[in-house]
Amino acid sequence: MIQITIDGVSCTCKKGEKLLAVARRNNIFIPTLCHHDGLPGMGSCRLCVVEVTESGRTKVVVSCLYPVRGEIEVVTNSERILAHRKMILALLRKRAPKSDVIAHMCEAFGAPDLPVASFDGGKCILCGLCVRACDLIGAGSVATRTLLKKLAGQGCAYPVAGAGVIAMVSRGTTKTVSTPYDEPSEICIGCGGCANVCPTGEITVTETETGRTIWGKEFKFAFCKECGELLGTDKEVRYAAQRSGRDPDFLCPACRQKRSADAMAEPFGRR
Amino acid sequence: MTRTILVCCGTGCRANGGMDVSLALTAAVDAAAADANVCCVTETGCSGLCELGPLVRIMPDDIMYYRVRPSDAHDIIQKTVLESEPIERLLFKDSSGNHVLHQADNPFYGHQKKIALRNVGIIDSRSIDEYIAHGGYSALARALEMTSDEIIREVEESGIRGRGGAGFPTGRKWRSAAVLESSPKYVICNGDEGDPGAFMDGSIMDGDPHSVLEGMMIGALAIGAEEGFLYIRDEYIQAVKSMKKAIRAAEKRGLLGESILGTNRKLYFSVVRGGGAFVCGESTALMSSIEGNVGEPRAKYIHSVEKGLWGCPTVINNVETWANIPVIINGGGKKFAEIGTKDSTGTKVFALVGKVKYTGLVEVPMGITLRKLIFEIGGGIPNNRKFKAVQTGGPSGGCIPASLLDIPVDFDTLKEYGTMMGSGGMIVMDDHSCMVEFARYYVNFLCGESCGKCTPCREGLRHMRSILTNICNGYGREGDIELLEMIGSTMIDCSLCALGSSAPNPVLTTIRYFREEYEAHIREHRCPAGVCKALTAFSVNHAVCKGCMACTAVCPTRAIVQLNGGFPIITKSCNGCGSCRDVCRFNAIEAVKGGRV
Repeated sequence: MIQITIDGVSCTCKKGEKLLAVARRNNIFIPTLCHHDGLPGMGSCRLCVVEVTESGRTKVVVSCLYPVRGEIEVVTNSERILAHRKMILALLRKRAPKSDVIAHMCEAFGAPDLPVASFDGGKCILCGLCVRACDLIGAGSVATRTLLKKLAGQGCAYPVAGAGVIAMVSRGTTKTVSTPYDEPSEICIGCGGCANVCPTGEITVTETETGRTIWGKEFKFAFCKECGELLGTDKEVRYAAQRSGRDPDFLCPACRQKRSADAMAEPFGRR
Repeated sequence: MTRTILVCCGTGCRANGGMDVSLALTAAVDAAAADANVCCVTETGCSGLCELGPLVRIMPDDIMYYRVRPSDAHDIIQKTVLESEPIERLLFKDSSGNHVLHQADNPFYGHQKKIALRNVGIIDSRSIDEYIAHGGYSALARALEMTSDEIIREVEESGIRGRGGAGFPTGRKWRSAAVLESSPKYVICNGDEGDPGAFMDGSIMDGDPHSVLEGMMIGALAIGAEEGFLYIRDEYIQAVKSMKKAIRAAEKRGLLGESILGTNRKLYFSVVRGGGAFVCGESTALMSSIEGNVGEPRAKYIHSVEKGLWGCPTVINNVETWANIPVIINGGGKKFAEIGTKDSTGTKVFALVGKVKYTGLVEVPMGITLRKLIFEIGGGIPNNRKFKAVQTGGPSGGCIPASLLDIPVDFDTLKEYGTMMGSGGMIVMDDHSCMVEFARYYVNFLCGESCGKCTPCREGLRHMRSILTNICNGYGREGDIELLEMIGSTMIDCSLCALGSSAPNPVLTTIRYFREEYEAHIREHRCPAGVCKALTAFSVNHAVCKGCMACTAVCPTRAIVQLNGGFPIITKSCNGCGSCRDVCRFNAIEAVKGGRV
């Protein structure tokens, strides 16, 4: 166990724990945009910068990725840090002029309105959360691709692409998030995980009674055979079944439980 | 006496017809061979003085010829080789007009001390035998008999710091990797030299590939690695070829592969070609690229020596650093540390380019002053123009003004003045360079080369570019300078990698040393250097003009006309390129305020 101080508060943490987690556990607020507890860190938005002083030397680090390895003093709200945060938010406002979330944060933090031209963008701040979500849980994940390749040998229902559904495209100032060649993706299952983690709501999902459209591709909904409850997209259900190595049964959890219970009760003559 | 004729076939000389010279010399030797045991012609890597190439050097007399044409081959063989007579027209003329016979007497070479470039331009880089004949691989043999600790101690004692730019102590890096128990470990050579105007690493890989391999082998022995990668930018076709060939030759000789020189140590090297991203010179992006992912840097809170390539301990060093290692092992770290300054030991290779008389590749002891480098070695500024600034360390390096020409060139001093050592680019600018345009140019380059992963670098560069472009076009506003400084400060502190944190250097140093130029652009819509086209017009000063009409010949838009056989007049079709001013030997063409009022 290591003792560190954050804004003068003494905190205890394990070696290698990330600074942001330690701060949050001790109710110390550090703003973030590209961080999600369930996804690997990327350190792209830089909003969570803090000052770390170790053996007399002070440096600026991003708390979401910085592993605590020794006794350090952390300051999360010095003048220098606040100025940087304001600038980062001001820059992001120019990147995503249509985002209410960013505009709201700029107001809250007192970020200046820079006298420079806005990017003709929408709400995307290129934080990369959607890409990471797809890589980890969606059809873009490495585990899935490996599995799909294996299944392809056994006549798998899904074509296997060499990359995730969405990725960061291009580099530098022209970077965007998109599907390969901006075409509707062949392997997307319409799970909406990307839209779910998007901090600014850039990824649009339109839904009707019978289906959902995302990344320019339409998906049919699947409903429970027994009670008619919405299960998700048809592709999602089939994909989940494939990953668990079974045939899809199109049942909601409650009806599946009931069916299992009935099956177990039968030998006892209760039907 | 058998002589060797060394023909420089480095990039610059090759472009100037070095290969043709070599062929012509070989033919002339064949023609003359009947009456003499003449000599052999050797094609070497870069000899340094690219400006005066193709270069030919005759050994052992050490007679050096410059700007040699294939038509000179016959004379060289007949006069110099057979009759030991120098040919005056091919010799170097020093500033007082004397002919210089030997290489060492040429001031360009006289001040140099070659360690990393010890064999470049002297041996046939394609031959492992020549390398061995020049003492090559003796350091490897020595290292095989030393313990890992002994090898690292020599490197620590030498004080050598990373030549890729960051200047991290190499010995310390190796030590941290060597103490780790985990396996496998990797060594990597960073040959992704992407700086505009820099060609040090390419020249070493092309001209003496085995020195890099030998350094890497010693490094691998020291840290206990069994595999190494050479990441070379794909644009360096010659370097890629030469490195691959060197690896094959070393494998054939039993220096690489299953067993190094018959010991039980295994070692495999392979070449990985870069995909054209400047950011892949950054070590973590480079490793990501080798792994087959997009070359984006990652946070370095856990160093590569702990978790590098595929999460394994990795030592990554620059080409030049590796090339220095055999010398350190052979001569001892102490001896190496005597060269250079206390905190920056050894020598550094610089690519001296831009507005300097003798552009080329130089290797000088650390701590040399910029003045000596530019004026004594580089011969000063061509056409008797005034020196204005020098940019050190590549596109994200800052610039140093004339008032600081006497500062020593070493890692820490350059940093103190807002620039950096970088990988060793030196771009000299004369008074026809606009510092705002200079900053805009490099920011624009970095805009295209930033990976775009983190906010400060991606967005900061974009706005810096638009602000600087506006200033150059006469649309600058009060407050722009302060805004550039603010954006720059956030980029320095908050960027993810060194590309982002050093990217504002060109902007911040030009503001620091040439603020009045920015102010002239913003407040008076005037470009003092007469470079920014939107703010510049040219006029001919008829009091000075001699009517030679050299300006009309270079004008791309035919804007300069001669009225009734009199002096030239610049008409409205002028596009402000400034070629006429550059070509005028009488300084009769003056830049005046024009364009936006």
